[in-house]
Formats: sequence, structure tokens, C-alpha cells
Amino acid sequence: MMKRILVAMIAICVPLSAQWLNYPTPGIPRLANGKPNLEAPAPKTADGKPDLSGLYDIDNGRLFQDIAADIKPQDFPIQPWAAALAKQREEDMRKGDPYSHCLPPIVPRINSGNRPFKILQLPGLVAILYETGYLFRQIFTDGRPLPKDPQPAWMGYSVGKWEGDTLVVDTIGFQDRGWLDGNKGHPHTDAMHVTERFRRVNLGHLEIQSTIDDPKAYTKPFTVTQKLHLLADSEILENICNENEKDAAHLVGK
Amino acid sequence: MKAHTVMIAIALAASAPAFSQWLRYPTPGIPRTADGKPNLSAPAPKMPDGKPDLSGIWVAADGKYLPNLALDGVEVPFLPWAAALYKERQANHGMGRPSERCLTHGVTDFDALGTPRRFIQTPGMLVIIFEAYNHWRQIFLDGRPLPQTIQPVYMGYSVGKWDGDTLVVDTTGFNDRGWLDDGGHPQTEQLHVTERFRRRNFGHIDLQLTIDDPGAYAKPWTVNLSGFNFFADQELMESICENEKDVQHMVGK
Repeated sequence: MMKRILVAMIAICVPLSAQWLNYPTPGIPRLANGKPNLEAPAPKTADGKPDLSGLYDIDNGRLFQDIAADIKPQDFPIQPWAAALAKQREEDMRKGDPYSHCLPPIVPRINSGNRPFKILQLPGLVAILYETGYLFRQIFTDGRPLPKDPQPAWMGYSVGKWEGDTLVVDTIGFQDRGWLDGNKGHPHTDAMHVTERFRRVNLGHLEIQSTIDDPKAYTKPFTVTQKLHLLADSEILENICNENEKDAAHLVGK
Repeated sequence: MKAHTVMIAIALAASAPAFSQWLRYPTPGIPRTADGKPNLSAPAPKMPDGKPDLSGIWVAADGKYLPNLALDGVEVPFLPWAAALYKERQANHGMGRPSERCLTHGVTDFDALGTPRRFIQTPGMLVIIFEAYNHWRQIFLDGRPLPQTIQPVYMGYSVGKWDGDTLVVDTTGFNDRGWLDDGGHPQTEQLHVTERFRRRNFGHIDLQLTIDDPGAYAKPWTVNLSGFNFFADQELMESICENEKDVQHMVGK
């Protein structure tokens, strides 16, 4: 794979007028008309595992605002206290959404942000660079266990392992101030365990199935799916939220 | 890649202790001395193409350059307006520094900052992920040119190429709101930073910076920073700048 990238790079004649955002992505299969062949098979790494590396954009951002968007209300296993808190946050016009205050959208909400992210898959490590929040995430795939008593963090601590063609990522170590979504303000606690199943369907498509297991706020685990597509010939940009953080002073509650 | 294969083999062989903590997990695949300590004077690892591999977690060997890149007596060729602004920032104890509002660092002050960062080197790219702010930076090594017209940003846009064993990184596209260091050396949108990274051995990266900003300085100036020491058996922690309570307490002269 890497060799192919190098060969393709050398073959591409670099235009002098190249812009940051429209530089052709090297090393991806293309159709006769030069467009990326999004239906080509998912690439593989040297060890035969699917290579998730690439720049992705969401198909639909509804989960960012409502993690239960695809779940029937009667099937959403939210505990009464958590439902009451979510209702209060919604009535308060989501004034307290951390993301409105330039704080991180947590895992898995950040996977549904409306700005692209880049996955870098290396032996032993998967790193994700998010334009949303200008944040990164590390997922250790070198066999290390989850820490026993991690310091609570916005993004938690992640380890991943392969199950067939699916990268299964377990994340714990959350603090409890994050919101699972924006419009609904669904809460979570420090007991949350998120399992994300990353599957690259083909070159152009990625699916992330996320299971939220938080027995302090939900009576049983529930699962949601985010679909994404490859964003070829583009890039991620710097995105400094605090620079324009003039919202907080104007947010009003009920 | 060979190093990575070895890394995996060692990771599989090492029986992971059940009590392992986030910060105490032994870095897999690094050379060690007989007593198990990292062998920091071992040769720098190489990529499959023979170029040095800068990957690893690094900390500034000395954080003393963050307040002043020109600490070692380098004469900074200020233009008059830049000299006046620098003097004012110094007199104001650095009030107005972007970090007081949880804004990001730029290239040069991140290079001087003491907190850990991980270099991830692939054939086409060097990515740096910083513990401070949880921010990232991309340096393209795939031969693309620096972009022409771009949106100015704090971190700029970076491309790198090899000069022997030294990675030479050119960055442009900066905004004029960043500060080159905490002391307040100013910058304009004409800023062009050249970083020369040389992994001298397993444990150390030398780093030289050249600041070329005809908007603020009469000629380019060059400083040797402390470089970075390898930070073995450690990890990056999350560091979100969320305690943005400084700004209201900043006082000037």
C-alpha cells in the first residue's frame, strides 16, 4: 500500500497552483475520468487488515444533535433522572452544551460532527485528527489493556482490536460533563463504556456502529450507526473555536 | 516498517500486566540497555526508505526558550514597529498573549513548549499531536508545494523535505495574531518559518528555527532551540484548555 502511494506520488505532476484544499489525494484508485473510484475494495495494510486511513465526512449529522434520532422513543433505555435532565437541558435551549462553549464533543458524538476527520492507521496505533474541535484521539491497537483507574477525560481512553474486518474500539475513562448530543442534551456518567465498530465497507464508505453502555444513566446498552464517505482531494483545516467564542455571553435559557 | 513489525512482535510477546496504568505502559519496540532502561544513545531508527524515523513521544529538552526564542543572545533584527510592539508586550507582562484566551500555540512556540508531543511519521506525512490543547499539526512529505492563496491560520501550512538526515520543514500561511513566543515576538502574514529537525540518536532531536518575516524583521534570524528528548514509557494526557479564567485577571502596566 505504502509502496503504491509512493509510486503514485512520483507519477503525479504537481500543479504549481495547488491549493491546500484541492490537492489530489495520492494513491487512491481512480476511474477513467480521474474521479476517485469510491466503489473499489477497501485497501489493506501489510498485515492484511483493512486500512481505515483516509479523510472522511458524514453522510448525515443528525446523531450529533440527537443520538436517539434512529431509535423509537419507547425503545430508548434512558433512566428517569437522565430523561428529566435531558428535558431540562432542551427546555433551557441547550445553553449548557459544552460544544457551545468550545469544549469537546465527546466520543462518539465527535464522529458525527459536520467537519471532516482524518484516520491514520499505523501498526499499534490508530490516530484520528478531527477538524471538529481541532482535537485528536489515540486508539491503541498494540494489545495494551484499558487502564484500571484512568483520570477522567472528555475523550476517554481507547484501545482497539480487530474482529474480522471490523476494528472494535473500547473507550472508558470519561468524566461526566459531556453531552451525548446537542439538541437533546442526553447525559452520560463516568460509568460510560463506548464500543465503536469501525468498518470500511469499500474505498469510499465507512460505517461506525457505536454502542453506549452506561448503566448509571441507561437501563441497557443501545446502539447507533454513523455512515460516512471518503472525502477525496481535500484536507482538514485548523479550527480554533475559542477565537470566535462570542456565543456564551448571548446564550439565554428559559 | 521493519521497526513497526518488531514493535508488534514485542507487543504481542510482552505479557501486559493487569495493573498497567495509562502513563506507565512500557513503550514497545525501543532499544534498551541491559538494565531495561531505554538506550537513548542508540542510533536513530530508519524508515523503509532509509530516512530517519522521527516517530515517538518527545519533550523539549529545556523549556527555557518558550519565553524568549532569542534567549541565547541572538540579535533580533526588529523593524521599528515590531520593536515597539515587543517592548509594549514585555512591559505589559505578556498581556494579550493568545493562550490567555485558550487560543492555540503556533509552530515556533509549540517547538519551545515543554509539554509532550508525539511525532507520527508515515511515508507521505509527519503528524504531530500535542498534549497541550489536544491539537494536531500536519507536515506533508509527499512533494506537494506550499499552497499559494490560503486562509491564514495560527499553525500555518507545512511541507517538509529531507536534506541528508535532516528534515527541513517550511511553513507559511500564518495569521498575524499569533506570537512567536510567550514573550511576544510579533509576526505578520508574511512569516515563513523553516525548521530543521535532526534526530541525532535514538534519544534526541536537534532543532534549529529560522524566522523569515519581512513584515516584522529586517532579515531572517536563526536560533537553535533545545530540541527534544525521547519520552520513554509515557503517554500523552488529555489537556483541554477549559479553565479560561485568566483573561479577566490579566493586568498590564
